[in-house]
Amino acid sequence: MLYTDTNSKGAGVDDEDGEGAWVRPPPPPVAPKQQSLIFQQIEIDHYIGSPRAGMPGQQTGRVPVTRMFGVNDAGNSVCCHVHGFSPYFYVTCPATLKDSHLADFKHALNRALMDDMKSNRERISDAVLAVEVVQRESIYGFHDNQSARFLRLTLALPRLIAAAKRLLGEGKVFVANLGTPVYEAYESNIDFEIRFMVDTHLVGCCWVELPAGSWSVRTHDPQTRCQLEVDVAWNKFRVHEPEGEWARVAPFRILSFDIECAGRKGIFPEAEKDPVIQIAAMVIRQGEAEPFVRTIFTLKECAPIVGTQVLCFGRELDMLEVSVFLCQSWSRFVRLTDPDIITGYNINNFDLPYLLNRANALKSSVFPFLGRMKDARSIIRDSMLQSKQMGRRENKNINIEGRCQFDLLMVLLRDYKLRSYTLNSVSYHFLQEQKEDVHHSIISDLQAGNPQTRRRLAVYCLKDALLPLRLLDKLMCIINYMEMARVTGVPLSYLLTRGQQIKVVSQLPEEEKPLKLGQEIIAGEQNLILPVNKGTGDDEFEGATVIEPHKGYYSLPIATLDFSSLYPSIMMAHNLCYTSLLSGPHKAQEYGLSPEDFIKTPSGNYFVKSHKRKGLLPEILESLLSARKKAKNDLKNETDPLRMKVLDGRQLALKISANSVYGFTGAQVGKLPCLEISQSVTSFGRTMIAFTKEQVEEKYTIANGYSHNAKVIYGDTDSVMVLFGVETVAEAMAMGNEAASYVTEKFVKPIKLEFEKVYFPYLLINKKRYAGLYFTRADRHDKMDCKGIETVRRDNAPLVANLINTCLQKILIERNPTGAVDYAKQVISDLLCNRIDISQLVITKELTKLEKDYAAKQAHVELANKMKKRDAGTAPKLGDRVPYVIVAGAKGTPAYEKAEDPIYVLENNLPLDYEYYLCNQLSKPLLRIFEPILGEKAESQLLKGDHTRSRIITHSKVGAMAKFITKKASCIGCKVPIPSSSEALCKHCKSRESEVYIKQTNILGKMEQKFSELWTQCQKCQGSIHEEVICTSRDCPIFYMRRKVQLELVDQEKILQRFGVPSW
Amino acid sequence: MRSVPARFVCEPCRKRAKTCRQSGADNTTGKERSRCDSSLILYTASVCRGYRNLAKMFEARLVKGSLLKNVLDAIKDLLKQASWDCADSGIQLQAMDNSHVSLVSVSLKAEGFDKYRCDRNLIMGMDLGSMSKILKCAANDDIVTMKAQDNADTVTFMFESPNQEKVSDYEMKLMNLDQEHLGIPETQYACVVKMPSSEFARICRDLSNFGESICIACTKEGIKFYAAGDIGTANIKLAQTSSVDKEDAVLIDLQEPVTLTFSCHYLNMFIKATPLSPQVSLSMSPDVPLVVEYTIPDLGHIQYFLAPKIDESDS
Repeated sequence: MLYTDTNSKGAGVDDEDGEGAWVRPPPPPVAPKQQSLIFQQIEIDHYIGSPRAGMPGQQTGRVPVTRMFGVNDAGNSVCCHVHGFSPYFYVTCPATLKDSHLADFKHALNRALMDDMKSNRERISDAVLAVEVVQRESIYGFHDNQSARFLRLTLALPRLIAAAKRLLGEGKVFVANLGTPVYEAYESNIDFEIRFMVDTHLVGCCWVELPAGSWSVRTHDPQTRCQLEVDVAWNKFRVHEPEGEWARVAPFRILSFDIECAGRKGIFPEAEKDPVIQIAAMVIRQGEAEPFVRTIFTLKECAPIVGTQVLCFGRELDMLEVSVFLCQSWSRFVRLTDPDIITGYNINNFDLPYLLNRANALKSSVFPFLGRMKDARSIIRDSMLQSKQMGRRENKNINIEGRCQFDLLMVLLRDYKLRSYTLNSVSYHFLQEQKEDVHHSIISDLQAGNPQTRRRLAVYCLKDALLPLRLLDKLMCIINYMEMARVTGVPLSYLLTRGQQIKVVSQLPEEEKPLKLGQEIIAGEQNLILPVNKGTGDDEFEGATVIEPHKGYYSLPIATLDFSSLYPSIMMAHNLCYTSLLSGPHKAQEYGLSPEDFIKTPSGNYFVKSHKRKGLLPEILESLLSARKKAKNDLKNETDPLRMKVLDGRQLALKISANSVYGFTGAQVGKLPCLEISQSVTSFGRTMIAFTKEQVEEKYTIANGYSHNAKVIYGDTDSVMVLFGVETVAEAMAMGNEAASYVTEKFVKPIKLEFEKVYFPYLLINKKRYAGLYFTRADRHDKMDCKGIETVRRDNAPLVANLINTCLQKILIERNPTGAVDYAKQVISDLLCNRIDISQLVITKELTKLEKDYAAKQAHVELANKMKKRDAGTAPKLGDRVPYVIVAGAKGTPAYEKAEDPIYVLENNLPLDYEYYLCNQLSKPLLRIFEPILGEKAESQLLKGDHTRSRIITHSKVGAMAKFITKKASCIGCKVPIPSSSEALCKHCKSRESEVYIKQTNILGKMEQKFSELWTQCQKCQGSIHEEVICTSRDCPIFYMRRKVQLELVDQEKILQRFGVPSW
Repeated sequence: MRSVPARFVCEPCRKRAKTCRQSGADNTTGKERSRCDSSLILYTASVCRGYRNLAKMFEARLVKGSLLKNVLDAIKDLLKQASWDCADSGIQLQAMDNSHVSLVSVSLKAEGFDKYRCDRNLIMGMDLGSMSKILKCAANDDIVTMKAQDNADTVTFMFESPNQEKVSDYEMKLMNLDQEHLGIPETQYACVVKMPSSEFARICRDLSNFGESICIACTKEGIKFYAAGDIGTANIKLAQTSSVDKEDAVLIDLQEPVTLTFSCHYLNMFIKATPLSPQVSLSMSPDVPLVVEYTIPDLGHIQYFLAPKIDESDS
């Protein structure tokens, strides 16, 4: 525990005790001649530097140098400069080009490139390093295993590739006696780092060994802040495959941080004006349970916090100057603790840019050096990331060399579909912990208070820094992403900043190698290269098939047969690949293929069979699937928990990769689309589903000696649901197993139909909409499985999901349909009487585009505008999920005008549009699940029964009429109007005064108790029961309840006061 | 009629039901029983309201039944559900529309009915859509009678043809609407304009083609309606007429000139009351809601209150 009072400049940081814990352990003495250096690399990039004597490659001018950052087993940071690797790409070699032309060609290209360069900062004398003729084969299409001649052009700098491709393509390179033939570029769009990794067999996050004698330590003039800075030639180091002991993870340092800013009232903090008042930082070593550094930097004095280093800045100094120190000492803290991974919640788009902009505004020259390069400033760049998986996102890119930025928000956005992505709701979702949410408008008040209130804020800030670490650990993000990097062979940071495709692209060059080795003996050198995609047409192709569902409620067990890894196995079974593609039957004739040598797929495409040419994609898939099998096996035998995590992460990564191969061929704007493959795959899938249905219904009949005629009631993409007609789960399982193996025999290997589960009972609502109890064992159900039903969708109110879920539980588990109907009626009645908690009615939608980009008006967009007018500071911004409720409006008002902020509704007592919730939200999903059970009368029973005839109508406190209207007094007992509000009851009820009074007192008592309970709950959540609750979390149901009861209490007290002073 | 478990019925009511059954009782038995059910909460407090008020009832008979139909047409677009407050002085209805921009106030005096009985104050929550459907079943010259037992959960509409040859009974389920009672304080208006209701309806309809709002300016000389929109502007001026007594007179009682802007949407809802009265009165003061009042001859009135638009950008 340390508390430093600072009167002098940045005194807190000079404290030795604190820093001792910050820095890494000193590296052991190294002897490059005798020892090898082993480390796990985590980040790979390249820079343009000067060549180093004794290293291969160009020796003049500036050269590209690859850099690997990593950590060794002892926890020392390592930076390894790799020299001598030059970028290259291929172009088609014109038939007229002879070896004698090569020198001229090189010269011509060189001159063209040099002329093309606007400036020659790198003082390059030779842009083209080498031109060679090589035998390669284009990956696209079957060429009868004939390779063709290609030119391999090695250039001095990576950025010259694009220029060279352009110049060659435009015919700007004139070679004597040759002219300007057409050169088609291959592999020019592969990143330099990926190229390097492929050629050196590096994969992301693998262990690298520099053998003794091959490396040297930089003793003078180090460029980085790493403890060990070494140089090595690109062909001298060894890469360990991540197997066995090399699957381990080095003790990386992970820094998680969070900042608090003092905003002005009503305005979201702006870096130019509002100071950063607190920065919490936690550093943990990968694999340890608790962070070993917990530090909070605060502006002005802050009371001590147990277990945390509190560094306060400034009492007497000028505040502006002090905040410079705060930022600078945090920057220093980062340099000293030297983290490998920087994490936090939304650091990429808020915390880091804010700090950098703030430091810029304060003119701090020291702050932006956050990376490991001594002379590299961190700069913010805006970027747009567009991917099918995540939609369009605006991001900020900040370069922090050598440290991997692992923003937890990005990970969650990518991997999880949630209703809300605030840290609070995320932590509730995954850790079942509510977190208090301090609105940024009161942060300034806390800061302006005393050391105790600042401590309050500090505790909150620390929690925000700790939660990302706990979530990373809980969700195993780091391990899973490392394994994904290892499987796909790209650097860790690529996985977060690029789309899916990069993964497959990196695998394609990767897989060439073993292929080459294996086939060299038989077919000579057979190397594949990738053409540069120019984007093909946008033909739509038919998707997967769906067998028309026989809707209904099945009280007999339904067996489900699934194709395991359907698409990968189709590609393997039929040898569907770029390399085996024939553009038509005429090609087959051209190559002299007999009908046994190729197949025609159901979609009318032609592929050669594997004995003619084993496809590359099937090969990749096989190795992925066998690797997954192996990982799963290892997982079974593994006992060490950390290694189990690693293996589990790996098998998951392999599965995702295998499935993304299909998507890759279908992505039309992708790196290498091939619709012939993707449409053949889906067409095979369709025929297989139909075939399975046919087979099952043909075999399992009474005529064949079975007790019932089997019926396929539904089938989708890779599964069919079969009603065998048997009574028990066990029988259905036995028959399912039998049917699966029976049908599997009829397919080409490795296509396999598996029996997976039994649904019993089963409610089939429509295509892709069903629910059932999921059995994998005969004795007990595993879970309730719902597909496409509102329980899992995000664009409706939680009330819908909860109601449907409970109803399904009552129907399926308790087998009590009447109970479910009663429950639904009760909820509807509660809804109409305003008894449903408002948090249950909140709908959230993401604000993905600006208003003008939306074609039609949308509720959440309109609301965001409305809120911006009220208070620009709290209004949702682009990318936020906007919570709203629908309030009552005039007849014919469109729904988008009726959206309102839930808190505003609560405070002003706005009436909600219950009809909307009943008709637009609840009715359809409810009718869908009840129609198979109740039939036609479902609607009148559920939506129009007696339970809908009791309503409570509230009156808003805002609105044009509100200020003119007075409330007339009414009798508390029977609600009829009475002349004066000083009276409590009408003359008819007067005789029952005591009874009514007791009733109202009871109501007040219950409210008081409820409020106290809620208040205590919030106090527990904020971790202090001595202080006022300041949390305004919009994700927390407790918050809404607390606010509602609070308002109701005030009204109820007024009612009681009308009875007057009790007298005897 | 739904049956009620015995435990929900208080002791006196149970006895009563028994005697009714023994004496071959009419269908009121069922009602009595369900009344106890509806007063469930009170019953737990050891009082069954159903029994206490057993003999009390509500009945209102209107020979000119079409008036009631017109009243309903005048409010059913603004209000989905509403409570009718019945007292011995007459029937009242006051409610805000769904969006809380306007307020409707209906008053039907007891004297206006041909027969009126209300033993104790009573609130009947009704779905106005359903009520309107029922009233549509009445012919224009039918005599309409509304009847309810005190604390019942239904109301009965009885339609009798003038020659008493046809009598139809419609029973409608009531709603339990828990809502506050609203009022508008008495105000001295800066200007009160009386004009033919059909003229006002015409002006509102015409001007709503031009814009979303209508500006009403009232001076000594007359009253001016103004609207502007994409297609252009519209101006209608009505001068004060000299004759006082005729129904098509335009009369202005002015303390000070007023100019206010109102939403067309709501004014167009208000003019649905035109059939009820040949004359309409508009009362205005700066920054105070406009009152549009239709007097129903011999029966009562309908008042609509509408807040002025403060500022274009604000709405």
